[in-house]
Amino acid sequence: MAISRRGLLAGSFAMTAALALAACGDDGGSSDSTEGADAKTLTLWHYEGPTSAMGIAWTKAIEIFKAKHPGVEVKFEEKSFEQIQQNAQMILNSDSAPDILEYNKGNATAGLLSKQGLLTDLSDQVTKYGWDKKLSGSLQTTAKYDEDGIMGTGKFFGVPNYGEYVMVYYNKAMFEKYKIAVPTTLAEFTAAMDTFVKNKVTPLAVGGAEYPAQQILYELALSKADRTFIDDYQLYKNKVDFNGPVLTYAADTFADWVAKGYISKDSAGIKAEDMGVSWEQGKFPILISGSWWYGRFASEVKNFEWGTFLFPGNTLHPGSSGNLWVVPEKSKAKALAYDFIDITMSPEVQNLLGNSGGVPVAADPAAITDAKNKELIENFNKISTSDGLAFYPDWPAPGYYDVMVSGTQSLINGSKTPKAMLDEIAKPYNENLADLGK
Amino acid sequence: MTVTATRAPRRRTEERPSLRQRHPARFFILTGLLILLLLMVAPLLVVAVNAVKSPAEYAANGPLSLPHHLYWAGIVDFWNRVDFGLKLWNSFITSLVVAVLGVVLSVFNAYALGIGRVKGRTWFLVFFLVANLLPQEVLVYPLYYLSKQIGLYDNLLAIIIIFTVVQSAFGTYLLTSVYTEFPKELLEAASIDGAGKWLSLWRVVVPVSRPTLAVLFTFFFIWTWNEFFLPLVFLISNDNQTVPVALGVLQGDRMMDATTTSASALIGIIPAMVFFLIFQRTLTRGIAAGAIK
Repeated sequence: MAISRRGLLAGSFAMTAALALAACGDDGGSSDSTEGADAKTLTLWHYEGPTSAMGIAWTKAIEIFKAKHPGVEVKFEEKSFEQIQQNAQMILNSDSAPDILEYNKGNATAGLLSKQGLLTDLSDQVTKYGWDKKLSGSLQTTAKYDEDGIMGTGKFFGVPNYGEYVMVYYNKAMFEKYKIAVPTTLAEFTAAMDTFVKNKVTPLAVGGAEYPAQQILYELALSKADRTFIDDYQLYKNKVDFNGPVLTYAADTFADWVAKGYISKDSAGIKAEDMGVSWEQGKFPILISGSWWYGRFASEVKNFEWGTFLFPGNTLHPGSSGNLWVVPEKSKAKALAYDFIDITMSPEVQNLLGNSGGVPVAADPAAITDAKNKELIENFNKISTSDGLAFYPDWPAPGYYDVMVSGTQSLINGSKTPKAMLDEIAKPYNENLADLGK
Repeated sequence: MTVTATRAPRRRTEERPSLRQRHPARFFILTGLLILLLLMVAPLLVVAVNAVKSPAEYAANGPLSLPHHLYWAGIVDFWNRVDFGLKLWNSFITSLVVAVLGVVLSVFNAYALGIGRVKGRTWFLVFFLVANLLPQEVLVYPLYYLSKQIGLYDNLLAIIIIFTVVQSAFGTYLLTSVYTEFPKELLEAASIDGAGKWLSLWRVVVPVSRPTLAVLFTFFFIWTWNEFFLPLVFLISNDNQTVPVALGVLQGDRMMDATTTSASALIGIIPAMVFFLIFQRTLTRGIAAGAIK
């Protein structure tokens, strides 16, 4: 409660700050590749834990950078996600701005800052260093922002090092116990869940109070969707019909899954963390969630064997690039920052990221030694190269996350019919479109 | 004889139940208090239990299970990762300076408003009350802009100044109402003895109201210690951060590390608890002394 209230206030505050900052921020000047090449320090911030795949890979990248630039002092500070999330505008508009930092992708974050002229346009560097060749189309979507700060087209303002996608985690022991094979179609998947229900096991671990439920809903929508739908829904190419076949199917099927007992009615109040822990304890056989769990499950689950598969039958999956390396406009060591980004994109660092349980954007699967990590990365490459990253359902409008949470909760509770729920989530979406003048 | 001999010890053992019978409610009050205590302490216990549990064990048995062996690595790792000693020092020095300055400022203000009875003091008090009720989120942007202008952004001094003012607004309000009730006789006696305004403040008013000031000091210290939002905004460099801001490092985008978070919460809360225990007696004394007669 306290956190959500704080978030709300911070949000409203960010709006006012945005207006004020927009007035004082100078427009993003063109980047010069030699600017700040003679700087003696590189201040670098990110908010990944030291034992996470990104943390490990970036520590290595810093080492390589130091070896390459012996005269430069690297001042690395691990920041809290919340601090960056809440204060980035204020920090980047002050003299305390770092030279390079990790920042959230998305219209409301990197997009907004790029619009305010607080971030350096990296387009020239992207072509010069060839990063665009390493990033597939759907990964580039979240790195490019137009002059309104909307992702998809325009200039590069960030470079992602890693990706993420939603998949199905399953408990092999429980699948074997009821003699269920790994499903390859949606029909087989529902048949498998039926078997669990018959044996009095709730198949899906779901956190209805946070992001997991909406990602399941989105997976179901994607099973009927194509790229045009994604472009319409996420990038506002055309108007989305919330009562059209795609979303109607998703909402109906989701409600059906609750009715059939695939999703427990209690899950409306469950948080993502508790969902993960309950799956780790073997209380549920299946968990549909993102690759961010992978490293944690790999190190923490000791009581049973587990595996993953992509949501059966889908060619599109929720997922995107990870967070971005951005260079503030006030950076005093831009050239060094570009060089650091290039190091993080090098095969050595990318492969280390993969071997540490992360999802690198440009690794060589052959260099990944662990079989499980290899599977994770190969699945990602499969999605990414076939342009199958569909982003997340809460991206299109500010504050849409809470709309989706309450929408899916009402489906789990049965307090709303699928149609009423779709009408409810259509409203803020269309209001946002109107605000954008689309 | 034998009968009385056996009866005598029995009577002695009966004495204790008879005491209890005299206060049958005592038992229920005690159980009630115990249950309340358990409810209050339970979250803290869960934190403590998880702080010394390994992540794998947490994953396997959930948050409520007891650890099979004590796992200190979470606490040690966290301490080293955020350089916790430095954060403790930052928090301590900020809270201490704010508490001292806040009390001094409150005394000056309250002396003028409560005893000095300056003109328009009701409006001053209303102003302080309103300042007190203002949410910090409203203040953030002006404060950010001002501190940037005078070069105090990302500086502990900014936090000290801000909180001295914020806390003394409350202190002034509270202390003024205490000082309006201040016994006139004492002040008159002092002035007959030839004490000026300055001397009677230090020699009479402050010593008499010392218990109240001690309470204010304790509260200011703990409140400043626990402040999160403004330090989060103003203390950018890791070298300047306070304890609550440092704890935020563990909250990720989508992931939280429950065991390390518990570990950090435990070592984050201990200093404030120790401080509270030390000054707990001044608190009770101060509340009793609030009514000076």
